[in-house]
Amino acid sequence: MNVCSCRSWKGVLKVRKKLLLLQAFFKKEFILFRRYFHNSIGGMITLYIIFLLMVGGFQGMRALTGLGGDTLEGLVVGYVLWLFMLTTYQDVWYTLRSEAQEGTLEQLYMSAHGFGWVIGAKVAAGFFTNLIMVAVLLAAALLTTGVTVNLDLLSLLPLVIGTLLGSAGIGFAIGGITLVLKRIDSYTQMVQFLLIALVAAPAGRVVWMRFLPCSYGSALINRVMVGGQNLTQIGLGNVAALFLVGLGHLLAGYAVYKACERKAMIQGTLGHY
Amino acid sequence: MIKVESLEKIYPGRKGQAAVKAVDRISFEVQEGELLGFLGPNGAGKTTTVKMLCGLIRPNSGRIFINGIDLIQRRIAALQEVSAVLEGNRNIYWRLTAQENLEFFAAIRGLKPSGISSDIDYYLELFNLTEKRNVEARKLSRGMQQKLAIAVALISQSKVVLLDEPTLGLDVQASYEIRQLLKRIVKEQGRTVILTTHDMNVVQDTCQRVIIVNEGRIAANDSVDNLMDLFKVKVYRINVQGGLTAEQREALLGMEEAVIEEETSARTSISVRLEESQVLYRVIGILESGQSLIESIDQEQNNFERVFLQILEGGPQGA
Repeated sequence: MNVCSCRSWKGVLKVRKKLLLLQAFFKKEFILFRRYFHNSIGGMITLYIIFLLMVGGFQGMRALTGLGGDTLEGLVVGYVLWLFMLTTYQDVWYTLRSEAQEGTLEQLYMSAHGFGWVIGAKVAAGFFTNLIMVAVLLAAALLTTGVTVNLDLLSLLPLVIGTLLGSAGIGFAIGGITLVLKRIDSYTQMVQFLLIALVAAPAGRVVWMRFLPCSYGSALINRVMVGGQNLTQIGLGNVAALFLVGLGHLLAGYAVYKACERKAMIQGTLGHY
Repeated sequence: MIKVESLEKIYPGRKGQAAVKAVDRISFEVQEGELLGFLGPNGAGKTTTVKMLCGLIRPNSGRIFINGIDLIQRRIAALQEVSAVLEGNRNIYWRLTAQENLEFFAAIRGLKPSGISSDIDYYLELFNLTEKRNVEARKLSRGMQQKLAIAVALISQSKVVLLDEPTLGLDVQASYEIRQLLKRIVKEQGRTVILTTHDMNVVQDTCQRVIIVNEGRIAANDSVDNLMDLFKVKVYRINVQGGLTAEQREALLGMEEAVIEEETSARTSISVRLEESQVLYRVIGILESGQSLIESIDQEQNNFERVFLQILEGGPQGA
């Protein structure tokens, strides 16, 4: 065996191990979803009730002020997108917190892949569980409100992924801070409101807001779902900009996380909670 | 298999408190297939050392080599050889079953679950968990959870297994079972095991060698047998019918080597530390002088707990 084929064989083994990691998290997510199905359904009902309250509040405002027009579609899209961002953020932050709390974080740190890959696999596995939940809630929201939106999945998928990079970045940053400061749940809860502001930010009109996490993605997704555009009409440049900004936020969040991880390792508090 | 060189860890002071030197330039080696006990009182630096060996705490200085790989320079490569149980029964997912835990942790260590199904069966059998394989970990007893956590550490096929207090909080039966399993694993699989514990029975029963740390430094590093020999002090217990006379009591209290352990009107028990044979004769002479009737003279067994305490108190030099 020559050096070249030996290297490629090692590469194949590495990829195989990463796939095993991904498979392990998929299986775990699936088992827990199935085993605690009633709990999952309960969570979805709670989120649906929140949506109903939002719609009620929105319609009340419209009746009082005469404002609104076709923005109920925007509300549905914003709500569903916020939900997706929230679950992605929680997949990172909450995983770090709960693994530390349960005592398994240190085991994950000792994996053969490095912790970055481990949490990446967890987020990827969580993406699909979240996707199912978001799809169900979107269907419920559309049926409840009677509005219609453009569900061009081919256009939406890259935009959603680009948008979620930002919320994963926020999750890493908050997760890292949690590793160092520990019990800061009351502050981390505030992030869900920050995510609402990011979804609602008018990044389509105000250029500097495009650099905020998730905001530009939210504007582009609105153009597809509410405005009826497709990816070609949105343009490759805009999609590339979305991914660049998203990756920037992800890397910045990961950098904050790594700095906090280093501090926790120096303090000896990595697995404590 | 493990080489530690001048390892030092100082925890930075928090909120105006002074920095704490938890580990003070310790060096030691552990051979392949060795079961090493790592002992010390609370705050001696045991867990910090073990967590540094797992790459979970960053040392201030010093080096750690696992199977020749520098842990600080090549963390992930070195950790391929290490698995650990650091938080007892908290190292497993409570909502997954025994089998699911084994499969998940094998996968994150890069092992394909289908390729190790026979290993999973073997460890479930070895740890007496076969009947509980489909039971969620949260529903298992603490002893079973602890055994599952150790099985999870072993399934990764790592050469080094680090166990922090593996028998803590377990009843006598469960503790005994885990001790037997550890001995078996070292003997049959040639794994290198380091365990920290407060339980001297565990050390005396399972460990070939012990390192005793105190205030971050190594106070003793030797085989259990050698340390037992080094601290061998013959202690005799003399039981006498009835109580002592005032003269006898005064004479015995004047001897450093003799302690009146118990005195009632029916029976008196005196322990005598025998550093020279004359001591025993002197005590017997005192008892004879008051015409006390000696019921029995028994030699007490030295145990590792006594050795451990003597080392911490700065016992025989060179331990």
